[in-house]
Amino acid sequence: MNRTFGEKVFNVFNLLFFLVFSIILLIPILYILQQSVDVGAVKSGLSLWPSDPSTAYYKMVLGDQGIYGPLLNSIYITVVGTTLSVLINAAAAYPMSRRDYKPNKFLVYYIVIIPMLFSGGQIPTFLVLKELGLLNTLAVCFLPVLASGWNIVLIRNYYRSIPESLIEAAKIDGAGEFYIFGRIILPLSKPVIAAISLFTGVGLWNTFTPALMYNSDPTKYTFAVKLREMIVVQEDMSRQFEAMMQQMALSSASGQAMTNEGLSAAMMIISIIPIIIVYPFLQKHFASGLMVGSVKG
Amino acid sequence: MERKLIGKKKGGRLGTTNIVLTLMVLPAVILLTIFHYLPLPGVAIAFAKYNIGGFQEWVGFENFQYIFKLNNFWRAFLNNWMYVALNYVFIFPSSIILAILFNEVRIRPYKKFVQTISTLPHFLSWAVVGGIWMLLLSPSNGYINQIIEALGGEPIYFFANNTTFPLLYTVIAIWKSVGYNSIIYLAALSGIGLELYEAAAIDGAGRWKQTLHITLPGLKPTILVMFVLSFASILNLFEPLYVLSNAMVRESSMVLDTYIFQSGIMQGRYDISTAMGLFKSTISLVLVLASNFLSKRLTEDGQSIL
Repeated sequence: MNRTFGEKVFNVFNLLFFLVFSIILLIPILYILQQSVDVGAVKSGLSLWPSDPSTAYYKMVLGDQGIYGPLLNSIYITVVGTTLSVLINAAAAYPMSRRDYKPNKFLVYYIVIIPMLFSGGQIPTFLVLKELGLLNTLAVCFLPVLASGWNIVLIRNYYRSIPESLIEAAKIDGAGEFYIFGRIILPLSKPVIAAISLFTGVGLWNTFTPALMYNSDPTKYTFAVKLREMIVVQEDMSRQFEAMMQQMALSSASGQAMTNEGLSAAMMIISIIPIIIVYPFLQKHFASGLMVGSVKG
Repeated sequence: MERKLIGKKKGGRLGTTNIVLTLMVLPAVILLTIFHYLPLPGVAIAFAKYNIGGFQEWVGFENFQYIFKLNNFWRAFLNNWMYVALNYVFIFPSSIILAILFNEVRIRPYKKFVQTISTLPHFLSWAVVGGIWMLLLSPSNGYINQIIEALGGEPIYFFANNTTFPLLYTVIAIWKSVGYNSIIYLAALSGIGLELYEAAAIDGAGRWKQTLHITLPGLKPTILVMFVLSFASILNLFEPLYVLSNAMVRESSMVLDTYIFQSGIMQGRYDISTAMGLFKSTISLVLVLASNFLSKRLTEDGQSIL
């Protein structure tokens, strides 16, 4: 294809733009990574390479008994929540994928459209959860989000791409609905089930707001809430610390200098690691367009 | 036709087929009923005196009269609109522009590389994102302030400035979402027939003209869907603003959601907080319906998205 000079210039600039764009997007994460492994007292300046690499911060974070509770809570919420959520949504999507199932249209409204338009709001929801005795429980982090209209629609659309003749043939052979679902539909829908599981899992691993709003008991904190608490507390601490240093006209001594920043950076990296591990699989699914828009922002 | 027949044959409204199928959809229906529909009547609290002690009496519109007199309520309300405006001026278009530019990149491994990096932040929790940016912009030794100091400037305390905080939020929100949100537009772009571009090229249209007359019209349906859907959650700003704000930027970071959380859940003033919540969700609903109506007008076939 012939290209004009202007288009060639545009292409070069476009490629350069995306190079700069990628670097800018990556810097915040690289910086945290560097902070989490750098114990050097001398600032590394603009280089993102640690001046004095060490795993000291990670040892400190992992040595702190206080993080294992929230860590286990998050793992529990993620595992139990994802399993139940996928089961419930995959099952609900099946009748809704069947055009001969009568309540179909009603269910689309009840499960998808009305929840999108109307909500009780923060306080009525809070009061219902309180009445149900769900405050200060781990279940409150996943129970309210188990059934997801959006996920049900995605799974339903996938089911609908399976030829109906398969279902009809199975019926003629005398198979029941449950058998058809478990032996024909589910095995054929592995890609969408895998994708929904991954996205639900990441969402639950990141659980923050419900744990903050409904659980005041620190033993029910999720990892994200614990992380937030550490960051905020440390901000206050380091501010006091700096003021003290200024008052006493002290400068930091040479050698290793552990900072609060390094500690929270290590904590952040720990919470990112599971996401990085599943990221290639996530990417496979959203790149194929299957999961577009499936997880709330 | 055939489908209908099978449905009838297998026993009408309550045949065995239907019972098993109904059992399968039941758990989802029950959960939504408990966690979504059960709180709905609770909006009546907005018209009552209701605090930690429970229901006291009906008071009509008194709670609304009360909140309309609160300066903080109006501040939160106006801030909400400011964040909505920032969303539609910067955050929403950013992913469309990115997708259009990205579509022009023809080198596949490079494309994959950029996409891998740009979608990653979407999957990080706001708690982590807030933490990352606080460290990055820290006035004492954050990366950005080190650059500023290296260039001879004074360090800036980004998270303490009420004027720039909304822009800071915008930058961070774009950082987090632009890559992922562009995927849906990229998918739509790949659906535009190459023959359209070829025909345009033969007619002498350059890249820019092609973008204007083929790419953008091709994206229009997707843009409209995303536009209408985004209104459903546009006022839900709790998590990002809660994690990014601090005492020094309370003025500019306070929106209805964070204010309701503070006065309702933290201070137990259920009645006036519910009134604020009802006010907010009414606006939300009006926005969705209005944008849906608008998009109906904007599409030739007049199809509504909802």
